[in-house]
Amino acid sequence: MEHEEHLKLLQATAESNQEAFAQLYEATSAQMYAVSLKMLKRKEWAEEAVQEAYVKIWHNASEYQTGKGTVLTWMVSIVRYRALDMLRYHKVRGESELFEGDGDSLFNPDGLAEQVPEKLAECIDELDSEQRQAIHLAYFNGLSHGEVGLHLQSPLGTIKSWIRRGLQSLQRCLSI
Amino acid sequence: MNYLLEARRNALAAEYVLGTLQGGARRRYQQLMMQYSLIRETTWMWEQQINDLSRQLDPVTPEEVVWQKISQRLGFVDVPAGNIVPLVQKKKSAVWQWATGLATAAALILAVVLIRVQTVEVTPPQVAVVQGEKAQALWLIEIDDEIIRVKASDNLQPQLNNDYELWMVAKDGRAPVSLGLLPKSGQLELAKHALFEQVEIVALAVSLEPLGGSPNGLPTTVLYTTELMTL
Repeated sequence: MEHEEHLKLLQATAESNQEAFAQLYEATSAQMYAVSLKMLKRKEWAEEAVQEAYVKIWHNASEYQTGKGTVLTWMVSIVRYRALDMLRYHKVRGESELFEGDGDSLFNPDGLAEQVPEKLAECIDELDSEQRQAIHLAYFNGLSHGEVGLHLQSPLGTIKSWIRRGLQSLQRCLSI
Repeated sequence: MNYLLEARRNALAAEYVLGTLQGGARRRYQQLMMQYSLIRETTWMWEQQINDLSRQLDPVTPEEVVWQKISQRLGFVDVPAGNIVPLVQKKKSAVWQWATGLATAAALILAVVLIRVQTVEVTPPQVAVVQGEKAQALWLIEIDDEIIRVKASDNLQPQLNNDYELWMVAKDGRAPVSLGLLPKSGQLELAKHALFEQVEIVALAVSLEPLGGSPNGLPTTVLYTTELMTL
């Protein structure tokens, strides 16, 4: 239902309907901002990434195809790539703290939040805990292999292998 | 290396979406996405699966000012984010299909252009491709002994009320150095800054600026970064 509603609004956005775009923003911006804030930590950077993402979505609404997933996952991709670029830029400039250590709260032993699709939650739960932690740190915090290694205090080669094998397991489990 | 082999294709797509494919490998992957539809489709598959993870985060409502800035940048007037009248849905499938077809055609043309650039342009010592979020090339930058040549791609959607400015980010930590305004269409030559020979450059950055360029000598809103590749 959510996807159909978003799709209707996105299709109208593709025809330059500003009200539809405003409604799409209303419906999705809290999720988009949560993703951006988690990665970038600083409010002003997170807001900037969200702004850039919606400007992009307004201009590129007609490029969405259902083969690209739900409207929301497509939009999350856009804000995540923007946040990753900004994160790298600020790291190059030495302006970004490496990691503030708030990732542990994600590793809820009771499993993933209800909103995560059941199959994905099941597949994530099946991963070894190291693989799950490494993938979570990379996904939610935008950490590189090396940074995940610093956080988990494990060598680079080990981290690369955890992430690679974790993703392979997810691929099998999700039938990608 | 065969990027089209299934296992390798999935491994690269997964790490690209996760964000752990970085630096030169990430840029090469973005170029492969432009060239091969199979690689694009594999990436989308991973995006739609992995990005559902974001639902694990509790939503955080951004401040009202975020919407205000978006509407300002897009030139909207009087569209408050709250209290919006319900949308009356109209039939629009024909336009939708047409627009989708056009986007696909544009992507194909871009792939062909890119292959030509890669095979024909062999002389410049350094090049950089500034890419948007979805890996579309926006500017091609070539640097030779004296000149920086910049070509704007047709993908670029120029903003009437802003200029784009190119910056050099040096490894020594100094503030970014402006290299000049980028063309919104066509080609432009910029003078090569003397610092090119004196410092190690870690990245080029593109910022969005008021018309005429940065008012204070520093980038206002950094949109993209890219690295120089030596050929």
